[in-house]
Amino acid sequence: MKISNELKVGITIVVAITIFIFGVRYFEDLPLFQTTYSLTAEFDNAAGLIAGNLVRVHGVSVGSVNAVGISDETGKVEVQFHVDRKIIVTEGSYAVVSGIDALGAVRMDLFLGPRDAAPIPEGGLVGAGEGNDLFGDLTARAPAMVQKFDDVLSGLDQVLSETGTMLSEPNSDLRSSLASVRGSVAQLERLLTEERTRISSILRNVEDATGSIKTLSAENGPSVTKLISDLSVTMATLDKELISLGDASRGLTELLNKINEGQGTLGKLVNDPSMYHKMDSTLTGINALLADFKANPGKYLGEMKLVDLF
Amino acid sequence: MLQYAKNLLFDPIQALGRYSQLLFKAFGAVPEFNTYRKNLWEQMIHVGIDSMPIVMLAAAFSGAVTTVQTSYQLVSPLIPKSIIGSIVVPSMVLELGAVVTGFILAGRVGARIAAELGTMRVTEQIDALEAMGLNSIGYLIVPRVLAGIVMFPVLYVAACFVGIGGGMLVGHFGGFVPMGVFVDGAREFFQPFDPIFGLIKCLVFGFIITSVSCFKGYYTRGGAEGVGKATTEAAVASCVLLLFADLILAATLL
Repeated sequence: MKISNELKVGITIVVAITIFIFGVRYFEDLPLFQTTYSLTAEFDNAAGLIAGNLVRVHGVSVGSVNAVGISDETGKVEVQFHVDRKIIVTEGSYAVVSGIDALGAVRMDLFLGPRDAAPIPEGGLVGAGEGNDLFGDLTARAPAMVQKFDDVLSGLDQVLSETGTMLSEPNSDLRSSLASVRGSVAQLERLLTEERTRISSILRNVEDATGSIKTLSAENGPSVTKLISDLSVTMATLDKELISLGDASRGLTELLNKINEGQGTLGKLVNDPSMYHKMDSTLTGINALLADFKANPGKYLGEMKLVDLF
Repeated sequence: MLQYAKNLLFDPIQALGRYSQLLFKAFGAVPEFNTYRKNLWEQMIHVGIDSMPIVMLAAAFSGAVTTVQTSYQLVSPLIPKSIIGSIVVPSMVLELGAVVTGFILAGRVGARIAAELGTMRVTEQIDALEAMGLNSIGYLIVPRVLAGIVMFPVLYVAACFVGIGGGMLVGHFGGFVPMGVFVDGAREFFQPFDPIFGLIKCLVFGFIITSVSCFKGYYTRGGAEGVGKATTEAAVASCVLLLFADLILAATLL
């Protein structure tokens, strides 16, 4: 069968139209055969969102932006977009514009509401949410950061220029410090050169000493061990002694406390002043007696009949 | 000398006038569908379907080359690979799909039309048609221009399809960018107006190439040499005008 020219042309045109429509839908991220679900969102700031940008749910592309414009009534940015019919956008969903405008990668993130809530009708309004994405924050904070960075850089610049001045001025502190450091280093070097032999002999001696210690400890290993064990036994004994000494001192403390509190004979002796007074008066009496005895021995001795005794 | 300057100044204007006159007559002949019906299908085959392989070949290679060269130029690690798709698809849809096809048609179809009509003119076949009472413009020019206007968008769709597909395949199998990433990047920056703009370009290019070639062929003078001259001029003028039209359209519509 010969295909007529009309048919050939017709088939080609139909195929072209089909490819065109499906191609455009494909790159618009519209499903090829099913219809989509149109919605509207309002923002205070579209942050560079344009028609064709992707709409994502949990990072998955589910549709794209149809149009972005300023609403006549509210003065806000009105974004018309569509998503797959499979995505059920319920009440409580909200949209966020995220991404960096400078890189051109702006998109709209759609956060779905609870699954059991009523779905938003076709063409309905989705609320705007607060952007919480890193790049958005960075973009918003970039001017302040740049300012700070600028400050830091200018400070650094100043420091560098001052350092330069200090280095170039012959009488500056830095230069003199550097010169003295250099002098010290030179002296140290000289010292090291001059005393090289001594240093090396010192080092050799140290080496010898450590070597001797090593040999000594190797040779007398067992006796050193015994010494240490004996020492540890002694220490243990000493420890015990110390414990009993502690007990003794504790007893002594108790005793002293009792004495202080006036318990017992000794306590009364220490704490009761009446004895002292009594003794005092007794001694006074003895003193008077002795004085009297000195003065008139006869008075007493007469009675004794000393001579009678012998 | 003076005569030469006068020609330099007046010849293009005179040519423009004759061109407009021809177009005016052609538009007047558009309703006479029966005159050119059979010719129209034939021209659509010649202009459209016969050009399909070469157009697709050129488009596939330009798409592939654009992908490879874009990925070669994107060396910054900060720029995602998907940008290759974002560059290749719009360049194909906006520019290459239409212009590459346009150049091929200017060479292939423009030259053919000019040679055909030129030969008919110098062998006095056009005069014979007129003598037979046929409207030669309606019979010869209208089907060719209509075929250009109708078939160029078809070729453009084929060129875009094959070009993007070629770019995608070369990117994928050449290890430059995986297909999914390529498509993601293309979708990220896809403007629904881009392919519409491409179609508008194609309508204009199709009209320019066919009408300029018809004009050059229809007013051929001077035997075989004249036919050769007309053929060359048709191809060159089509290309140059196509480029101007491209710039003007981009500046006004984008």
